[in-house]
Amino acid sequence: MSDPGSRILIVEDEAGIRRFLHASLESHGYSIHEASTGEEALQVVPAFRPDLILLDLGLPGIGGKQVTSCLREWTQTPIIILSVQGDESEKIAALDAGADDYLTKPFGAGELLARIRAALRRVGPQEGGPIFATDGLTVDLVGRSVRLGGQEVQLTPTEYSLLKAFVIHANKLLTHRQLVREVWGGAHYEDTQHLLRVNISNLRRKLEADPTRPHYIITEPGVGYRLRTESRVSSAPSNV
Amino acid sequence: MTQEDFPYDATSNLLTHLGADETPASQPKMSWKDRLLRMGEAPPIGSWRGVPASLAIVGLITMTGFQIETIIRGSNFAVLYMLAVIFSALRWGWRAAVLSAVSGALSFTFFFVPPYRSFAVTDIWYLITLIGLLTVGLVISVLTVAAREDARLALRREASTAALYSFTASLTSGNSLSQILDAVARHFAEVFQRPIVVLLPDADRLTVRFRSAELVFRDRENEIVSWVFQKGQEAGCGTEVFPGSRIRYRPLKTGQGIVGVIGFQTKSSKDLLPPDQIELLGIFMNQTALAITRADLAQKAQRAEVLQEADKLQKALLNSVSHNLRTPLASVLGVLNTILEDGVHLDLPTQRSLLKTAQEEAKRLDWLVQNLLDMTRLEGGAIRVKTELCDVHDVIGAALHQLGEAAHSHSISVAIAPNLPLVPMDDVLIVQVLVNILDNALKYSPGAAPIEIEARLQTGQLEIRVLDRGRGIPEQDLERVFDKFFRVALPGAPKGAGLGLSICKGLVEAHNGRILAKRRTLGGTEFAFFLPMEAKRE
Repeated sequence: MSDPGSRILIVEDEAGIRRFLHASLESHGYSIHEASTGEEALQVVPAFRPDLILLDLGLPGIGGKQVTSCLREWTQTPIIILSVQGDESEKIAALDAGADDYLTKPFGAGELLARIRAALRRVGPQEGGPIFATDGLTVDLVGRSVRLGGQEVQLTPTEYSLLKAFVIHANKLLTHRQLVREVWGGAHYEDTQHLLRVNISNLRRKLEADPTRPHYIITEPGVGYRLRTESRVSSAPSNV
Repeated sequence: MTQEDFPYDATSNLLTHLGADETPASQPKMSWKDRLLRMGEAPPIGSWRGVPASLAIVGLITMTGFQIETIIRGSNFAVLYMLAVIFSALRWGWRAAVLSAVSGALSFTFFFVPPYRSFAVTDIWYLITLIGLLTVGLVISVLTVAAREDARLALRREASTAALYSFTASLTSGNSLSQILDAVARHFAEVFQRPIVVLLPDADRLTVRFRSAELVFRDRENEIVSWVFQKGQEAGCGTEVFPGSRIRYRPLKTGQGIVGVIGFQTKSSKDLLPPDQIELLGIFMNQTALAITRADLAQKAQRAEVLQEADKLQKALLNSVSHNLRTPLASVLGVLNTILEDGVHLDLPTQRSLLKTAQEEAKRLDWLVQNLLDMTRLEGGAIRVKTELCDVHDVIGAALHQLGEAAHSHSISVAIAPNLPLVPMDDVLIVQVLVNILDNALKYSPGAAPIEIEARLQTGQLEIRVLDRGRGIPEQDLERVFDKFFRVALPGAPKGAGLGLSICKGLVEAHNGRILAKRRTLGGTEFAFFLPMEAKRE
């Protein structure tokens, strides 16, 4: 399901990691460009016009978080952060600044490819139409209805707007702050945060068969949540 | 030492302070003699107080004499005057006694010895009575003075001993420098009634470790203090060295050398301590110096112990690390070398299986490095607990998700009490605790043995339990499993560095929680940890 020909920019200062990423991604049909610093990345992006950026968080000079902020000034190209365990707050800052996802080193090629595919797929559901469907879950953004396995699910307005945020950014890792901003307006992040937990918990109780082994809404501890979709976003309203 | 130098209330002052010290032993016991000596408001002996009163008594006896002259005759009267002398001596001291003896003798001679109204004495017996009266008066005066002086000194000695006793008791009650400084501050202020400053050497310079609020310590005093510390002699107010200072500095000496400096602020250069207080001060200073030396030694011993402990730990760490790091590394390098050098001779399935081994060993290495880093951060206090209200489902779910493949090989059941509220915790850290415990349970459980996770509220705490049917932990090792690098000695046990559970303990305790391991009656192990429902205050 990879998208051969997609252009990926690798921004990483470690030559060994760059080589490994280049080799494994090229063998899957992506065309690759490399940058070893944040400055270089900012210069290259307008010319190379990548479809996706793999961005190391701990770059010398301009760090991954700043590169993300600079890029988000003018482009929505998906950014996947590559980090090592330990720089959690930097990672969250980069995600808050607009990065789409992150991977913690060391990671396997399989996991990387899955994340790349998900991020590339994400470019489009906004244009894809008002109906979102994955694995038995259907959300009609116009009719404001949610169905699970054909059964209508009753959601409170807050639960619905939370689900809507997930659907709009399907597969994207949404930080706590981003979710609070989307649903409650984000004025009082600290006060609203526990509301987020409560509503996620309620939403899972209504959507998931086993809330401790969630199928749709996946927790990234300390960071946020993502709506996982295994299948392609359907753009045609087939079952409404 | 003259009487004037030594106001009596200095002693009484001392006694008041000691009275506050609650030790009944320090209350001086009064003998009948003391009581007699101290009856009423005893003025300082030898004062002029009581002189008019003693004269009045003599006058009174004389007046009485006129009334009863007809009944008691002649020399018997001298006895009455003698009583007056004894009373005055006891009551007011030697001046009053001498005066009443002399005036009594004169009155007796003048009024009651014939020829009356004349100082002439014609009868030899009256002369003897008169000399007797005077002698008794003078001797009693001298004895009274001696007795009172003895009693006074005894009282003072007792007070000094009591002060010293209570000071040394406070000094020995604590071994830390701060406790000693506290005792010094309290007792010096009480006994010597002067604002003080205590300076102790810190690295290469003297620093003020205690200063009374009312004491002014200016920067230029440092010069005097350094001089005192180097020379081991007194300086400042009242000495010939730096006499301009308001503070008198004395070195704190022990047999080994000078351990610090104490300064006493004085009101003027005349405001010096009385000599016997200086003696007491000498002993106080000695005790202080010894206590400081003792605290210093105790601290050094403790530091040595810590260093030794750290050294032992370092050795264990090095042993564990060198073994645990190099074993997987050797496998990885071996595989890579084999494939690079002999790759052409190996078929694809062999190559794959070799690479699979290398991958597993590399993962083990990664896990170990991560644990070592976590341990280091925990011990260095670098892990900050960011408490937020979390959903327990979420946390257990995330742990199961992180275990991934490994969690699927066993049946893991989850039972969470219904209506469990959100619990304050750092979800990232608690997920790690669960992953480590579960990883342990999975490693030690045979293939099909079920693992259970339970969560509920228990007396205001969140209790999460992980139960397995694995080999179990020997009774004597139940507590030690949380020790760093401890591994249960079991034949064919899985490889590990003995860090996972000690990290769990560190993380749970960082939440003000606790963790424990139990043996299950039908075999297996139960790990339980408790988290308080009140968020930890940062």
